[in-house]
Amino acid sequence: MGSSSGKKHKKEKKHSHRSRSRERQQRGTDDDVTLDLTDDSTSTRHRHHKHKKHKEHRHKHHKQKERERPSEVISLEESDSDSSDCVEVPIEQVAKARVRESSAKERDVPTREREIELVRERDTSAREAPIRKREPSAREREQATRERDTHVRDREPPARERELSTRDRDHEITAPPPPQISKHLDYERERRREREIERERESRKRAVKERERGRGNSRSQSPIAPHQAHRQRSHSPKGETSAGRKRGNRERESGRERERVRSRSHSPIPENGAGDVLSIAETNKLRAKLGLKPLEVDTGSTKPASASGDSQQDSKRTGADKDLSSYKDEWGEFLHKPADNIKEKKEAEKLREKLKQRKEKRFLEERLARIRTLGESDEETDNVAKWVDRNKRVVNEREEALRKAKELEELDEAFGVAEIMEEEKKKARQLAYNDRNLKGLRVEHDMDDFGEGRTVILTLKDQDVLNEEEGDTLVNVNMLDDERYKKNVSNKKLNPLSYGYNVYEEQYDELGNPIERAILEKYDEDIEGKPQKRKNFVIGENVEEEREHRRKLLEIKTKLAGKRLETLEDTHLKLASDTFSVQELATFKKPKKKVKKLRQKLKAEDLEPIEEPGSSNLGSRNRSHRHPDEDVPMKDETKPEIKLEHDDDDLERVLSKARKLKQKENIIKKPLPLDVASLTHNVKPEPVDETSGSGEIVLGSADSNIVLNATAEFCRTLGDIPTYGMAGNRNEDSNDMMDFDRDEALDEHMDTNMDEPTLNHGTWNSVNPDEVMQPADLDNLGDDVEERAILDEEPDVGAGVANALRLALSKGYLEKEEKNRPSNTKMAHLQAKNYSIEDKAAGEDDKIGRRDRFHAGPIMEFKDKETFKPNVKLDYIDDNGRILNLKEAFRYLSHKFHGKGPGKNKIEKRLKKMEQDGLMKTMSSTDTPLCTLTMLQQKQKETKTPYVVLSGSNKTTAGVSGASISKFK
Amino acid sequence: MIEITCNDRLGKKVRVKCNPDDTIGDLKKLIAAQTGTKHEKIVLKKWYTIYKDPIRLSDYEIHDGMNLELYYQ
Repeated sequence: MGSSSGKKHKKEKKHSHRSRSRERQQRGTDDDVTLDLTDDSTSTRHRHHKHKKHKEHRHKHHKQKERERPSEVISLEESDSDSSDCVEVPIEQVAKARVRESSAKERDVPTREREIELVRERDTSAREAPIRKREPSAREREQATRERDTHVRDREPPARERELSTRDRDHEITAPPPPQISKHLDYERERRREREIERERESRKRAVKERERGRGNSRSQSPIAPHQAHRQRSHSPKGETSAGRKRGNRERESGRERERVRSRSHSPIPENGAGDVLSIAETNKLRAKLGLKPLEVDTGSTKPASASGDSQQDSKRTGADKDLSSYKDEWGEFLHKPADNIKEKKEAEKLREKLKQRKEKRFLEERLARIRTLGESDEETDNVAKWVDRNKRVVNEREEALRKAKELEELDEAFGVAEIMEEEKKKARQLAYNDRNLKGLRVEHDMDDFGEGRTVILTLKDQDVLNEEEGDTLVNVNMLDDERYKKNVSNKKLNPLSYGYNVYEEQYDELGNPIERAILEKYDEDIEGKPQKRKNFVIGENVEEEREHRRKLLEIKTKLAGKRLETLEDTHLKLASDTFSVQELATFKKPKKKVKKLRQKLKAEDLEPIEEPGSSNLGSRNRSHRHPDEDVPMKDETKPEIKLEHDDDDLERVLSKARKLKQKENIIKKPLPLDVASLTHNVKPEPVDETSGSGEIVLGSADSNIVLNATAEFCRTLGDIPTYGMAGNRNEDSNDMMDFDRDEALDEHMDTNMDEPTLNHGTWNSVNPDEVMQPADLDNLGDDVEERAILDEEPDVGAGVANALRLALSKGYLEKEEKNRPSNTKMAHLQAKNYSIEDKAAGEDDKIGRRDRFHAGPIMEFKDKETFKPNVKLDYIDDNGRILNLKEAFRYLSHKFHGKGPGKNKIEKRLKKMEQDGLMKTMSSTDTPLCTLTMLQQKQKETKTPYVVLSGSNKTTAGVSGASISKFK
Repeated sequence: MIEITCNDRLGKKVRVKCNPDDTIGDLKKLIAAQTGTKHEKIVLKKWYTIYKDPIRLSDYEIHDGMNLELYYQ
């Protein structure tokens, strides 16, 4: 709507412009053309900024109107024509108003023919204009022309006025472009214009009235006579000269030029800032050459300058395009298809959618209509009789079918079909491959790998085609894999350093039979290329028997191992009860109480029988010579109830006594003369046995009774090697000495031992170590047995003080000082009396408070600390092992710490001192350090005089001075 | 139809009319026709974005009245 109105308006404007130019032509003023040109260019260029000026201008005009009414119309018209470019909507109103006006005027327009002429002219010009396509309807056009004519007629301004307006325009051209006009301003302007229009209308009415009045008068009398004359001259068609026509042509040409310029100048980019520009047409031509589609001009709703004449022309053109279905542009090259109307398209789409939905709906409804709903009544189901009928029919049909099937079967039987079938089945079964065929096939797996009730699929093993002797073997692929895996695992487990040799390899199989292993069998596979023999079995070969056999073997083995095999079947279930029955109680064995053997009266029968001495094996001296087998019968002889260790001392004593008695008897009974060699061989008892105390057991030594004692045994083995040489029992002579009386002495010794009241040896840990230390001192044995038994040899007190001291020390009169160590007891007097470690901890705890609660240590008193009296002594020892005193120790540490030792001189000095110290220590207390006394004595010995003569000036005999001695020396 | 100004700041400044669905390549051809340089030699840039030939102006969001930098390669 707006655009159309704009178009209309534009046309009007154009018309007005043309008419004006024509007027000017008619006037024949020389400056007309140029002026017009400038006017046009300025109007196009500075359209926007003109408005303000125009407004002012208009105001001025209005004021003028008040003053001189006849001229006001023209000026108004001018301002209108200029300002109308910018705003579209109100101008429509203006146009309407004008139309109305003109229609009012129409009646009294005098020069109608002239008007028509003008219109014709304009038409031609419009036809010439290439861009303008659509001509307004004739009526419209006429109206417009008429209107304009009236305006033109009325509006002939006085010369003065024209001049003024031109001046104004000049001024406008020179004026700088104003800033952009906001929409608000536009709106303001519109309103103002409306107001003006109103005013204009009134004024026009007034003017018309005046004119009417004036028309009644003669033209010459009118005050605007010169104008009228001018107008007549210029407007009369007859007065149009050829020159004027020429000029008009030129004018038209220039107008076309202007139009082209305008068509170029439409763009959002200001013209003054733009560079090289092509027109749309040119661009289209170029695009056609480049193979591109032409510019989409009509969609240019984005064009901001739609108010400009060119854009309107464009839009007009597109409108014309629509009207004429095909259009060729100036160059006649393009044929545009009119763009689709999106709105229409959308509507059509909508409609289609709607129709589609309707169709769908109808279809669904139809389908739903066919379905019977629950609520609907159905005469078939409602009627009971009908329902029963139907059911009956179904049942009958079923029965019929069954009967028919039966009949057919009967027929088959009659013809013997069934038998044939059966036979065929049998045949097939016979032909089928079953376990009979499997007999004799070898399966390369352990039989135990096949679990009971498990199905294993076996396949024929891959084998060499030429290798026929082995026959077919069956394997299961998965089991093979398992075996391989197991083997790999075992290989991995092997220690690589031991080259596959496993020390802990099982030597026996599960049945206790030794596994036969070849030497280095791990290489067998590599060397011979033969895989190791695997467990296998043959199908059909008494598998069951073998299994049974194995089971039996296993049972035996477990029996041997002491395990009890219980079968689940034999145990019959019983009701559990909290109490035992009498029978059950009877089966219980009461735990044997350990009966402490209290003093048992020893009877003669309890003692072991004494064997004949000849028959018994008397232990040889050299154990190493003895055959190990000899001991065995001896052990057997000793009764098992004889306990080697007894807590019972009394019993022990009694036993030994009895033994000795018997021995004595034996000795007495024995014939004294004996083979010496055999006797010595037999009689010589173990040295330890002789020396051992009463805690030992005597198992017939001389007469097959040897006394064994754990401690003695132990000590004997200890003492055997070192005492061998010392004891002197290596030579045969000493052996010879061992004879009968020695035995007696031994017996005596034993007796004395027994009789000693203080003897408290019962337990084997109280054995006197001294006795053990000299176990084989056989030479002394005979002489001082008694002495040795208690103490070692007592030092002779009379021999010297040292011996006396030693004696005192051994008796305990003197306490041996323990290595100068500051023992706790020694330093006890130095310890604080009322202060303990606990106290110290408490004091610290108070001081520290809770800050160090967790590091303070145990809160509870540490009981073990009571007896813990540490004995700490710090000794500093230098590199030579000398104990350093405080000062020296500090020096030593200091040197070490600083890494810098003392100087050479110092070291020498210290060494010297040390030497002297050493000398002082070794120095005898009876002599001077220089041993003058010994020298003196030597001298006296030499001279054999009790004196020494000292040579010197003074002849004193007694005084011995160091100087003289040195001289003497 | 949109109009774009291309300026190398060395003296060439052209205004080109084109469609928004033209490609940059087309635009370059048009520019080439107006300036006289080969279109293969033209590089169009906006800041550091070099416009690529097969892409449309609308995809680059090149609008009416925009200014593109004209470079030569």
